[in-house]
Amino acid sequence: MKISCNKLKSYINNSEKIDWLSIWDTFTIRVAEVEGIELKGRGYENIVVGEIIEALPHPKKDKYNILKVDNGKKHLSILCGAPNCKKGMKVALVNVGGKVNDFEISEKEIAGVLSQGMLLSASELGIGDDHSGIIELPNDYVVGTNLKEILPLEDIIVEIDNKSLTNRPDLWGHYGIAREIAAITKQELKQIEIEEITNDKKDLNIKIFNENCNRYLGLKIDNIKENKSPLAMQIFLSYVGMRSLSLLVDLTNYVMLELGTPMHAFDSTNIDKIEIDVAHNNDTFITLDGIERTLSKDYLMIKNNDEYYAIAGVMGGLNSEVEENTSSIILESASFDATSVRKTATSLGLRTEASTRFEKSLDPNLNEIATKRFVKLLRDIDSNIQIVSNLTDVYPNKQNTIKLKLTKEKLTRYLGVTISDDEVKKILESLEFSLTVKKDYYEVIVPTFRATKDIEIEEDLIEEIARIYGYENINIEPLRVNLEAKMEEKDYDLSYELKKYLATKFSLNEVHTYLWNNTNLLKKLEVLENNVKVLGRVEDNVLRDDLLYSLVDVSIENAKYKNKFGIFEIGTVIKDNENYQDLGIMLINDDKYIKEAYFELKRIVLSIFKDFKNINVELLPIKLDTIYHEPLSLGIFINGEEIGSLGVIEKTIIKKKSILYAKIDFAKFSKIEKLDTIYEELSKYPSVTLDYTLVVPKDYNYQKVKEIIDKFNSPIFQKYEFVGLFETELDIKYTFRYTVGSYDHTLTSEELEEFKNLFIKYNKEHKINILE
Amino acid sequence: MKEELLELLKSARIEIEGVIKEADLLNLKSKLLGKNSKLSELMTELKNMSLEDKRAFGKMINDLKYDIEQMIQAKFNKLNAKDFLEFDNTLPVELGNGSLHPVTIASKEVTDILKQMGFIILDGPEMESEYYNFEALNIPKNHPARDMQDTFYLDNGLILRTHTSTNQVHGMEKYGAPIRLCAPGRCFRNENIDHSHDNTFFQIEGMVIDKDVSIGNLIYVMKELLNHVFKKEVDVRLRPGFFPFVEPGFELDCSCLICNGKGCPTCKNTGWIELCPCGMIHPNVLKMSGINPDEYNGFAFGMGLTRLAMMKNKINDIRVLNSGDLRKLERFNIK
Repeated sequence: MKISCNKLKSYINNSEKIDWLSIWDTFTIRVAEVEGIELKGRGYENIVVGEIIEALPHPKKDKYNILKVDNGKKHLSILCGAPNCKKGMKVALVNVGGKVNDFEISEKEIAGVLSQGMLLSASELGIGDDHSGIIELPNDYVVGTNLKEILPLEDIIVEIDNKSLTNRPDLWGHYGIAREIAAITKQELKQIEIEEITNDKKDLNIKIFNENCNRYLGLKIDNIKENKSPLAMQIFLSYVGMRSLSLLVDLTNYVMLELGTPMHAFDSTNIDKIEIDVAHNNDTFITLDGIERTLSKDYLMIKNNDEYYAIAGVMGGLNSEVEENTSSIILESASFDATSVRKTATSLGLRTEASTRFEKSLDPNLNEIATKRFVKLLRDIDSNIQIVSNLTDVYPNKQNTIKLKLTKEKLTRYLGVTISDDEVKKILESLEFSLTVKKDYYEVIVPTFRATKDIEIEEDLIEEIARIYGYENINIEPLRVNLEAKMEEKDYDLSYELKKYLATKFSLNEVHTYLWNNTNLLKKLEVLENNVKVLGRVEDNVLRDDLLYSLVDVSIENAKYKNKFGIFEIGTVIKDNENYQDLGIMLINDDKYIKEAYFELKRIVLSIFKDFKNINVELLPIKLDTIYHEPLSLGIFINGEEIGSLGVIEKTIIKKKSILYAKIDFAKFSKIEKLDTIYEELSKYPSVTLDYTLVVPKDYNYQKVKEIIDKFNSPIFQKYEFVGLFETELDIKYTFRYTVGSYDHTLTSEELEEFKNLFIKYNKEHKINILE
Repeated sequence: MKEELLELLKSARIEIEGVIKEADLLNLKSKLLGKNSKLSELMTELKNMSLEDKRAFGKMINDLKYDIEQMIQAKFNKLNAKDFLEFDNTLPVELGNGSLHPVTIASKEVTDILKQMGFIILDGPEMESEYYNFEALNIPKNHPARDMQDTFYLDNGLILRTHTSTNQVHGMEKYGAPIRLCAPGRCFRNENIDHSHDNTFFQIEGMVIDKDVSIGNLIYVMKELLNHVFKKEVDVRLRPGFFPFVEPGFELDCSCLICNGKGCPTCKNTGWIELCPCGMIHPNVLKMSGINPDEYNGFAFGMGLTRLAMMKNKINDIRVLNSGDLRKLERFNIK
């Protein structure tokens, strides 16, 4: 929102004591964020009131006039192409040596005519967008006077971040901003000038049928003759970003910019009754911007029977638009429910200056002041206007007065310092709160313009006092030492340690992926999605129940640049409407290295459990989703409970590459108790190592061989290690290294011999021959 | 005898020098120091000497024995030395290319600091009920923040959390007061994605509830946190800001890290950068989670972890973070 400092000055006594440039730094930390400051009128110099004494058409150049212009000292010759220039007209003249938007005007010959200055359009003067002709100044302006002495061309325009005003309905007009500046600078705010209206005429016929209209004030004004806004008002409107249209429309905008409450003027010609009620579904209505809108029963309307005049709080209608020759209006100043206006504006896709303000919950008590202010301003311009109705006030939802108790102890606790009663009183009163000082507390009455939603509780008052006192004046204090034993939440640390472990020990890369699956990818893979959906989205709208496809998606991209890589993520997945955390690990490698990659993945999985929990998990064949190659699928089990899986994707998703994926339920992993390591004493007697090569049939895999030899029992057996295997056409040869020994004696050769014989015999029974 | 000993040392030295194989050295050792050695022979002669000579020659023999042993050990080490090794030690080596996500690193840094200040770390769910995301945080039914355009609503009646502030409520319910907690986590907002916006991003929530907590405490904790995060002394300031779950609410600015507050393009010449919303916890929020606001009060803050990671690592496009593109991400080393 743009704010004119000239306007602010007009509301504050001794405003010259304020530095209007540096005040905005303070405003930022006391009130709201300032986005930028623009200096207006600085590049314009030596612009005076001129009068056209003579206007003759240029003999050769069509549409151009050769003018004689009085600048108060002499008559100048000026070539002018504006269609509206005529003899006797008062104009904005730039003298030779003067500046227009920092461009210096010099004397020169144009089309054979000596041009000794320039006449300006509103657009050239930077006070509007009209460049169709030159500005016509009022006749009573004295020729030769510097225009800056008559018109507020120089101004400081401040842009305030709208977002930082969302909770301050009182700051959507200049008067509210001025109140804050006055409070910050300890200056006095002036009363706004209004015209009192005597209610000795008839009420207008106004009826409210819907609870979303809090108040509706109507006033009928006749005999309006003027239709053009004074230049000063046009300049103000232009500087704060509004177009000047006609006097009546400008005035409604002007009052809105002053007080923050939108107004509307209807041409009264066809309006004999005003009803405020919702529209019928699918009725249509043409708004002021010329667009036909389809209405709904949720839209609050200003209407008469079935004829609509305005969408309440959003925009008026073309049928009751105020035009240049309008001489009689019904002036509306009303208060509508914030949510209702917001929903209507959002649904229409039509956010206007009015709706933006109504959304903030405006004070209905402003309606009366705004109407009286409008009348005062209009009368100043057009003294013969006639008020022809009572100021008709329908006010069903009265704004309550809020009275709050602020305890001094609480104020001190929040601020960390004690502020004197006197200072508290000064601060709150400067913001128009009224307050009574009691022994332990203050009794505070909140002004209605702060009471619509902004100030509700004691803490809101603390904020008012603290911000004006200055947050920078608050003492910085360390927290008290807290000697209570801390409760521990282990998951975060574990997750970080695990990530670091995967990255450092296995050179894996952590990625983050979205919570929803990529719809296109799943289509390509012919995977049916059936999980929680995000509403209002047609693609990428199904939440993932596995990190698998997120990681596949990322891998497809990375495979364009890398032959081999490993990624992981610890992330949320949604299963059965619940949040779960999964660890997903994906390895990508060339098809020809699939075996190496598979054992790498297996090593990673087993290491995680061994290193973090000191346990050996079981990897057992398992049937996973059909996307996996079943013979290579393994479940990760601890005491029979499944905690994850690993496998290979059967489809070729990336050309000539294999995708291997392991997942572990992180919450279950986190809950596993870490086993303590128990020290085992080594035998004092020497042990013996024996290498055996087991010749097994082709259809025995390692697991089967292991199951067989695990069951072999001997009192001197200590451990065995798998050394390697060698495959021939007929069989597979597995080599194991056995360690045998005793804790109480050195083995005898008989004992060794017996072990060998028993071992060989045992294996024979299981169709395994032994090569020593 | 003295001459004999000197002679013995001299010949031993020559012999030891001459050995080229380890086995020969072992043979030589037994010849010089073994039972049938000259030295051993001399030792037996000691028996017949006077006590005085015994003492003098005994020491000489022992010294000699020690010297020979040392010479043999030295020769042994020399024979076994890896002095034959020779290769190009300028060849490059491959470093492990594992990496952590920049947000993980930033999150760890921030939580480490907060932990030292006595904060516990909480982890809450990403799919949430409206109660935890809105109601319990004093965000009423018709608040604009609850509109479809800002929040991802799900077909099971739940939502994706729009902020980590949900963990204020989880924390209060779980632990009550007093409490100091922080909660890093992923949040979701229904936004169009561009170089500075993503619909999925990380925040870290902080909350302190105790007796007599002041605005000054909040400023202290934030300043301390930021000093450590940015590894330099920064200034902070509070500005009024509105968030339904705090009152008073603030925007916290930090002195610009580029120009140290002098004014530069990064801070739009203000000397300050907007860093995080914070405030004193709204009494309704305390009440709803069963904490008596007359007894306890506190403050909370929510810092953009994604933004912090971007600032610290000078990442200028937020889309990098959720892209999984290893060309960009694998450079982030493990801390």
